Amino acid sequence: MQLLKDRREDLIAGAVTAGLGAFILVEAVGYRLGTVRSMGPGYFPMLLAMCMCVLGVLLVVLSEPSPAEGETDKSQFADKRGVVMVTAAFLAFAVLIERAGLVPAVGLAVFLSALANRATNLVTAVILAVVTAGTCWLIFNLALGLQIKAFV
Amino acid sequence: MMELFHNLGIGLGVAASMAGLGYCFLGVTLGTLVGVLPGIGTMATLAMLLPITFHVDANYALIMLAGIYYGAAYGGSTASILLNLPGTATSAVTGIDGYPMAQKGQAGLALFVTAIASCFGSMFGVVLLSLFSVPLARVALQFGPQEYFALMFLGLIAASLIGSGRSIRSLAAVTLGLALGLVGLDLNSGVARFTFGMPEFFDGLPLVAIAIGLFGLPEIIANAGRVVRSSASAKDISFRSMLPTRAQWKRTAMPMLRGSAIGSFFGALPGTGGVVATFISYATEKKISRHPEEFGKGAIEGVTAPEAANNAAVQSAFIPTLSLGIPGDPVMAIMLGVMMIHGILPGPSVISDSPDLFWGLVVSFVIGNVFLLVLNLPLIGIWVRILSIPYNLLFPVIVAFVCIGIYSVNYQVMDLFVLLAFGFLGWGMKALNFEVAPLLLGFVLGPMMEENFRRALVISNGEVSTFLARPISGTIMVATFLIIGYYVVQGLRKVLSRKMVSAESHNV
Repeated sequence: MQLLKDRREDLIAGAVTAGLGAFILVEAVGYRLGTVRSMGPGYFPMLLAMCMCVLGVLLVVLSEPSPAEGETDKSQFADKRGVVMVTAAFLAFAVLIERAGLVPAVGLAVFLSALANRATNLVTAVILAVVTAGTCWLIFNLALGLQIKAFV
Repeated sequence: MMELFHNLGIGLGVAASMAGLGYCFLGVTLGTLVGVLPGIGTMATLAMLLPITFHVDANYALIMLAGIYYGAAYGGSTASILLNLPGTATSAVTGIDGYPMAQKGQAGLALFVTAIASCFGSMFGVVLLSLFSVPLARVALQFGPQEYFALMFLGLIAASLIGSGRSIRSLAAVTLGLALGLVGLDLNSGVARFTFGMPEFFDGLPLVAIAIGLFGLPEIIANAGRVVRSSASAKDISFRSMLPTRAQWKRTAMPMLRGSAIGSFFGALPGTGGVVATFISYATEKKISRHPEEFGKGAIEGVTAPEAANNAAVQSAFIPTLSLGIPGDPVMAIMLGVMMIHGILPGPSVISDSPDLFWGLVVSFVIGNVFLLVLNLPLIGIWVRILSIPYNLLFPVIVAFVCIGIYSVNYQVMDLFVLLAFGFLGWGMKALNFEVAPLLLGFVLGPMMEENFRRALVISNGEVSTFLARPISGTIMVATFLIIGYYVVQGLRKVLSRKMVSAESHNV
């Protein structure tokens, strides 16, 4: 068991690789394969999928104990608030851009992402959101004439 | 020779026009700005500024986008040296010795030699670009699908094996990227592949959204909570303090030349680019230096060589892009995308069909690098001051611009969801120690590779040996297999020695 645990990282990586390969293989075989001389839409994906399966198996077979914890850089997404708020900002923009228009979409996206940082208080976030939304309206609607409505 | 001058004259006409100069200046200034600011990569900037270029003539659009690209290569080192926060991935190496130099009070000197080395490397790359692109394009007119496939195969193998400690993972990432590149309607049969019934994906997955999802999003999120203010102040850096002594000039000359050569080589090879070039040139300098113990503690060679390499690579990356139509990295893929938006089909005929575009770009590189010297030497204080803008006020604005940029490429909300999805994919890959760069390269080359693979086998009547039978593609294929063989042997050695060690430890 300890052996498996030490090699967890390589084993998961291998399993995911092989799994994706298998998934692509199933999909690819569903399209027409054709022959080497005249390949159908499934042929090249099938080759790729087989490569991935082989690579996944290699990763599992050659798995090594991963280096001690802390050596790998896991700090990327350590800040939960950052992840949640920035994701929310992008989602808000995606939801609002066609339903409400550029100005509300930008405003909410800026407001939400500003709150990802603990140093920013509510008032600053609101001011920043209003100013950015106004500037974007000036640049993209007035100056560049982009095909996005400011308000719907 | 006369031909070259004639061509440069054409280029001068485009690049030295008011519009040419204006867009070039705009591009390099924005590029430096973005390079200086940690948290926005080149890809994110290109995406933010793409909407602007849709309204501009193709020549100027490319001049500006290219300016952003190599301007960022200059600016990236500034934050790297002053704060040890690399503004771009390629400038991480510069910080290894640049930051210790700044701590020793040599920040001005470090910034000065960086700018000089960057300019030298760029010029080196531009000279190679203007000398080799035309003959290469001429040869490439004879290329069949076999040669194109072989070149891309070499590029992908080189990108995933050279300079990567985890070869199998990189190969897996490249393969997944290739498969992702196939999403959409198959041009030969009209079958919708991997679209899962969503018509938004019929044209393929959006490159810009994927690139920013993989590279930009993790960085934005990682920096979202950052409060630290920069401690660097512009007052410390007088122009006098920047000038190197004669001995220091001497120490930087050769590393600059070697860095440029290494950079040009890896830049021109499709697949490997600035990042690989900077690491290899740093390692080379450390190996041949007479005082390797100084490296990491503020060796001036450790700053100049990688910077020269980085900038040379940026310029020489245009060689395969413009003369073959094969993008060496994702930024180049965006360049090709912009060309296509403006109705120019990338390939070996671009140089002869639109000489004003190619030579205008070449001349604009020279002009842009002169602009950059001015921006980065006498005006360095401005960028240092920008570093002290509180990041918590800056990044929400970045988020907004990225949103608008991505949405305005296709006016599809789906692209924003793709961005988020690939952000999480990139995070998952990092957690399992996969590199994301090979995936993106595979994605870019996927459709082209399949197309050439199919065509080659149609022409040869299904003979797979056709890739080896033709002289040029055969040579490239053999070189590729030699690289693969080398890494397989190395891998086997590692496995065997590990077995030996574990066997011994069991005996004890």
